[in-house]
Amino acid sequence: MEHAETRVQKYIGDPVSDAPPVDRDKLEEIFNDIQADLRYDHELNGCLNCGICTATCPSAHYYDYSPREIVQLLWTENLEGIYDAMQEKIWACAQCYTCAARCPFRNSPGGLVMLMREVAIKHGMQSAKDVLRPFSRVMLKLISTGNQLSPDMISKDGFPDWGPNISKVDAPLEILRKAIPVPTLHTTKTAWEVNLKTSVELYTIWEETGVLDSLGTIDANLHDVIEDIMDEKRDELEEWLDEQEDEDD
Amino acid sequence: MSTEGKNPGERFTGHGPEWQDAKLSKSDAVTATVWVEQIVDKRSMLTNKDRVEDVRDAMWQLEKEGEIVVHRVTDEHQPIMVKTLYGWDKKIPTTRLWHHKSCGQCGNIPGYPASLLWLMNQMELEYLDETDQTSCTAWNYHGSGIGNIESLAAVFLRNFHQAYVSAKAQGLPDGYYYPLVHCGTSFGNYKEVRGYLLHSAKLRESVKKILGKLGRLVDGKLLIPEEVVHYSEWLHVVRNRVAEMQQIDCSHIRSTIHPACHVYKMVPEDAIYDDSVLEGNRVAVSTSLMQALGAQVIDYRTWYDCCGFGFRHIISEREFTRSFAIDRKIRVVQDEARSDVMIGHDTGCITTLDKNQWIGKAEGKNVDVPVLADAQFAALVCGAHPYKIVQSHWHASSTEKLMEKLGIDWQAKKAEFEAYLKDVAEGKIESLYDPRKMITSGPGYKRIEATP
Repeated sequence: MEHAETRVQKYIGDPVSDAPPVDRDKLEEIFNDIQADLRYDHELNGCLNCGICTATCPSAHYYDYSPREIVQLLWTENLEGIYDAMQEKIWACAQCYTCAARCPFRNSPGGLVMLMREVAIKHGMQSAKDVLRPFSRVMLKLISTGNQLSPDMISKDGFPDWGPNISKVDAPLEILRKAIPVPTLHTTKTAWEVNLKTSVELYTIWEETGVLDSLGTIDANLHDVIEDIMDEKRDELEEWLDEQEDEDD
Repeated sequence: MSTEGKNPGERFTGHGPEWQDAKLSKSDAVTATVWVEQIVDKRSMLTNKDRVEDVRDAMWQLEKEGEIVVHRVTDEHQPIMVKTLYGWDKKIPTTRLWHHKSCGQCGNIPGYPASLLWLMNQMELEYLDETDQTSCTAWNYHGSGIGNIESLAAVFLRNFHQAYVSAKAQGLPDGYYYPLVHCGTSFGNYKEVRGYLLHSAKLRESVKKILGKLGRLVDGKLLIPEEVVHYSEWLHVVRNRVAEMQQIDCSHIRSTIHPACHVYKMVPEDAIYDDSVLEGNRVAVSTSLMQALGAQVIDYRTWYDCCGFGFRHIISEREFTRSFAIDRKIRVVQDEARSDVMIGHDTGCITTLDKNQWIGKAEGKNVDVPVLADAQFAALVCGAHPYKIVQSHWHASSTEKLMEKLGIDWQAKKAEFEAYLKDVAEGKIESLYDPRKMITSGPGYKRIEATP
C-alpha cells in the first residue's frame, strides 16, 4: 500500500527509504546562519522545558506550534528538527512576545523565530516563498515608500470579512482623506506623504543592509519592479537637485 | 489522566518509558507547580528574573567615551518623571514633540493621530508633524522576516536623527524637538534595537557607515535618544491636564483596556508602572488616563492575551486573527466585563479588535463592542468633533452606541461632517497646524520662521 509522503520524508528524508536526506552541510549552514546573528545569545539562555511560553502562546491555541519546541530544538542543536520547523511552524508565531515576557530564563522564542524566518528567506526556502506571496503588496509599499500600509489597500474586496463598514461615511476616498485635519495624511497611496529625499535615503539602507538581495531570493519579479521604482525616484531627486543648482547659479 | 483505550497501567505522558509518577499528594502537587501557575497579572511574572540591566547606563558610558551623542530630554521639553517596572526613572517630554507617525494609524485609523494632535492644540503645546520620516518597517519585519537587525537599526537612527535636526527648517536649533512614537510596534522595536546598538560595537560600526553615507551622523557619531517615548506615556503624564479639559461625563462608562504586547512585553523593564494605578500590577498607560477621566475600568481574565494581529496573520491568515480576537478578547469583555468600550494604545490592536467583530455573525458569535484608542476617547469626552477630529467613521465597530451613552448626538455630528465634505471638495480644508511646516527639506520646502 502506498503512503502519502510526510513532511519529514519530503524535507529531511526517511531513514528506511532511499530518498536522500537533506545534506548535513546544508543543515549546518542554516544553523550557523541562525547562530551567527548577534541577537542569538541574547535570545537563548537555557531551557528547562517548563512550557510557560507555550501555555501563554496565542498561536499554540490554533496551530501545531510551540515556542517551547522552538527553544528546545535550538538549545539541543537538533539540526533536522530546526530545518523541519522552518518549513512551516515558524510562520505560525504571532510575534506578540508574551513568551519572552514570561520566560524565567529570559529567552525570547519570538525573537528566535525571527532569526529563523530571516534565514529561511536568505536560503530561499520554498516555505518562505509560499507564505509570503500574499505579503507582496505590503513589501512593495514598504520598500518603495517606507510606508507599510496605505488607505487604498483597505477595501471591501480586500477585506470582505471586515464587513460593510470600511467607512461609515459614503464619499470618495480622496475627499475623505482630505477631510482628515492632519495635512500629511491627505494621501491615498501611502499612509502619509513621504518626502522624496526620505524614500531615496531608505533605498540606501535597503541596499547596504542586504534587504534588497533577500527580497530577490523570494520574489525576483517584485525585486525587479522595486528596482525600477527606486531608479525612477532617484532620477526624480537628481533632477530636482540639478534644478536647485541652476536656480542658485 | 484517562487510560481509556490503553493497556492496563499504561499512561501516555510524552516523556518516554523512563517516566515515573511522583505520587505526590494533591497539596504537594500544588506546591510543586505553583510557580508555574502564578497569577499572571502580578509584576512578579516580569521581575523574577536575573540579568536585568538598564541599557541607559551603557549609553551614558558610550557617550563619555566619545562614541555616541545622546539626544537629551531637556528642561525645555518640560519632562515629567515616571517609574518603570523596576522602579527606574524615565523622563517623558511633554512639549516640543516630533510626531513619529504610525503607518497603520495614518492609513487605517486616522482619527488616532488627529485626536492626539487636537489634544496637544488644546493644551497649546509645540509639535512638528513632517513628511521626512519612514515607518519603523517593523510591522513588515515581524510579519515577513524581510529586514534584519542592521536595517532596523539604520531606519531607527535615520528617523531619530531627522527628529533631532528637523527644527532647522524653522530656524531653530538641533534637538529642539523630541521624538514621540505613535505606534506600539515602533516603540518596542526601537527600544530593542537601541539595546542592541548599545551592546554591539560591531552593529554600531556597520550602521555608522550607512548613516555616514546618508549624512545622518552628529559630529561623526551615532545619535541615540536618551528615552524612547510612546504617545501613551505622554498621555499618562498629562492625564490630569486632559481631565481638566473634559466636557462630557463618562463616569457611567464601563471600559476595558487592551494593553499592547509590543508596548509592555518587549523591553518590559522600560514600561511604566504606577503604584496608584491598579496597585502597580499592570502597565499604567491608558488605564491611568481612563481613571483620570472618571470612567470605570473593568478587569477581565484575558487582559494579558495579545489581540491576534499576528503581523502576517492580519494580512494572509485572518482565520487565526479573527478567532483569537473574538474568542479571547471581544467575547470576554462583552460577556464578562459588560464593557461599553474597549480602549487600546496601539495600531495593530485597535485595527484587529475593531475590524474583526462583524464576521462573528457567521458562527453565531454576536459581538458588538466599540473599540477606540485612548487618545480618541480622551478627545471625544473633551469635546472634539466625533467625525472631523475623532474620525469615528473609519471604525467598523459600533462607536455610535458609545456616543449615545455619552450623550453625543452622533447623527447631527455626522450630518455636519457630511456637509463639511462639500467644503473639502471645494478646497476649503480645516487643519490642525500650518501645512507649510510639514515639508522640512527637499522638493516643496519653503522656509518659515517659527512663531514662539
